[in-house]
Amino acid sequence: MDLLQILVNGIVLGALYACIAVGFSLVWGVLNVINMLHGSFIILGGYLTFFAWFHLGVDPILALPAVALLLYALGYALQYLFINKVVTSPVLTTLTLTFGLDMILYNLMTVYFTATPRRVTLDMGSADILGVVMPMDRVLGMGLAFFLTGLLYLVMRGSTIGRAIVAVRMDRQAAALMGIRVNNIYAITFGIGALMAGAAGAVFAMVFPVTTNLTGTFLGKAFVICVIGGLGSVPGALVGGIALGVIESFAGFLIGPQHAITLGFVLMLVLLVVKPTGLIGVKGYE
Amino acid sequence: MFKPSTKTAVTTAAAIAFVAAAALPHAAFAADVLRIGAPLALTGGLADEGKKQEAVWQLWLDKLNAAGGVKVGDKTMKVEIIKYDYQTDGKRAGQLAEKLITDDKVDFLTAPFGSGHTKIIAAVTERYQVPLLACVASSESVYDQSFKYLFGTLAPNSGMTDAMAALYKEKLPTLKKVAIYGRDDVFPKSMATSMATSAKAAGIEVVYNELYAVGTMDHSAAISAIKSTGADWIYMTGYTQDLILGRKQLNDLGVKAPIVTMVTGPAYREFTDGLGDLADGVTSSTWWHHATAYTGAAGVWPSTEAFYKDFTAAFKSDPDYVHASCAAAADVLVNAVQKAGGTDKAKVRDALEATDMLTFYGPIKFGPNHMNLGRDMPIIQVQGKDIKVLYPASIANAEMKLIK
Repeated sequence: MDLLQILVNGIVLGALYACIAVGFSLVWGVLNVINMLHGSFIILGGYLTFFAWFHLGVDPILALPAVALLLYALGYALQYLFINKVVTSPVLTTLTLTFGLDMILYNLMTVYFTATPRRVTLDMGSADILGVVMPMDRVLGMGLAFFLTGLLYLVMRGSTIGRAIVAVRMDRQAAALMGIRVNNIYAITFGIGALMAGAAGAVFAMVFPVTTNLTGTFLGKAFVICVIGGLGSVPGALVGGIALGVIESFAGFLIGPQHAITLGFVLMLVLLVVKPTGLIGVKGYE
Repeated sequence: MFKPSTKTAVTTAAAIAFVAAAALPHAAFAADVLRIGAPLALTGGLADEGKKQEAVWQLWLDKLNAAGGVKVGDKTMKVEIIKYDYQTDGKRAGQLAEKLITDDKVDFLTAPFGSGHTKIIAAVTERYQVPLLACVASSESVYDQSFKYLFGTLAPNSGMTDAMAALYKEKLPTLKKVAIYGRDDVFPKSMATSMATSAKAAGIEVVYNELYAVGTMDHSAAISAIKSTGADWIYMTGYTQDLILGRKQLNDLGVKAPIVTMVTGPAYREFTDGLGDLADGVTSSTWWHHATAYTGAAGVWPSTEAFYKDFTAAFKSDPDYVHASCAAAADVLVNAVQKAGGTDKAKVRDALEATDMLTFYGPIKFGPNHMNLGRDMPIIQVQGKDIKVLYPASIANAEMKLIK
């Protein structure tokens, strides 16, 4: 029964991890931008959700769409105004730019919100099914993670914007020749990445303490998940997240929590050597 | 070839005389100012703690200077604190400590929050032989390097864990098994190690003893393992965000232990705010709590109550041990300057070593490793919305409650 509990813990955690990574993967895959702002976007989403709940009494689930849209607007503006200027430069340039923007956002949040950990204390209890305990807020988070990643998958597959994003990812110049406004698509993509981060932040405000101290941790997880799952695909983030969650869960139980994180990085290194596309990534985006 | 004329010589002499005359009062003024350097984490991960230090030192400074300053022999010195933000970057903390000593010519330094960063700055101050007061570093590993100029106002961690194991054994005679789970970081690791030793010495079996890596976002695997041990006391160390998550996951995964200790969670208001009802019953140990009632103290505040009153009036919140220990450290430094009769660094160091004083924070007397000698440090428990003191008996204001 212990092992079943560990497996369930891992899957639930993995779904939350997928929520972290999906926006990051999209931006990296389409724009070839390693978005160092991603962890701060998640925390900003968490703070907005917390303040809406704490000061206005808005339920986090209801706050989620508004928070996600706000983050979309912020992401769109940042890409349009700043990152688009250097988006075709080598990856180190865009990485440095987003790193600088992250320092500004991170410190603005620390100054105005303080780094004090905050949490939406809506404890929903746990469900006990055949001796396996499942915290309801995490189950809800998992449901939202599946829903959001599923929705993004459908948008990418079925909508004009989604097809335009895929077209730009495949061949920027050909897409431009077909009449796609590439800079606008870049901004929309970055906005969607920020939107997913904001939505993840809203979910996390119920599960994890929200503090600027965690921005680096979220960013690190997103990076590992993208490499494990594979860049440039929404299902890749989901598979990478769940794989990492399950591996960390079993490693924490079997070899001790001290080494659980290390094992995730070891897996990442192994995959980089033997399968650089990740578990289900698209060739050419590794 | 240029030959100075008489006129030029007179002008130059007058200029030199003017500059020298202008510098004289400044030099005299500078000697009457006690300059303390403070590298602080005002942004970055430890910004909250850095801001606590900044706030309490400003309160201390305003009160001290409003009273005219510090009487040193037959003169009165004003005090100035020169601070820099090291952005929670240990390397930068060391560089700024060096700048404070060499550029700003401070007389003494105070250390920032945490054992790790204190260690970095202590290495710099030792090199320049500048006294350093550490108010938020409690790991003995910081003090066991035979540094002559480093002094700490917190007491060693082991003083906390021995008393705790004894108290819990007394309150819960059936207590047999403890699970220890600590963050792999200087202070939390040191507390976890110390607790394991104290628990064994008190006859309590340590059934789980693991560390979690910095950056761990989830404790469910460890908590599932702890659940299977049937421990009746869970002792977790870490920073506030870890402890909030840990306490929540203990509850989510249905772990029922009558005693849950989180170090130093309940010492911070954000812990109880972040947990709501789940914080109820959690115990902790701390170096200071405002329920302690010292009177007749030397320094800026004559009693714990006077400090509490000023602090709450200024900040509309309760002070914690960081505030108290840091304000007391400033008092200790001033006391040493008074005893030394000036700011001579070697004399002040000797005076610090001989310190034996009562502050609003408690008695301060440095041991052989220059840490404040252990005294009865409070064991506290969240009871409802309040923090109650369980130990020592002299200041206890509640009986320990077991978690049901």
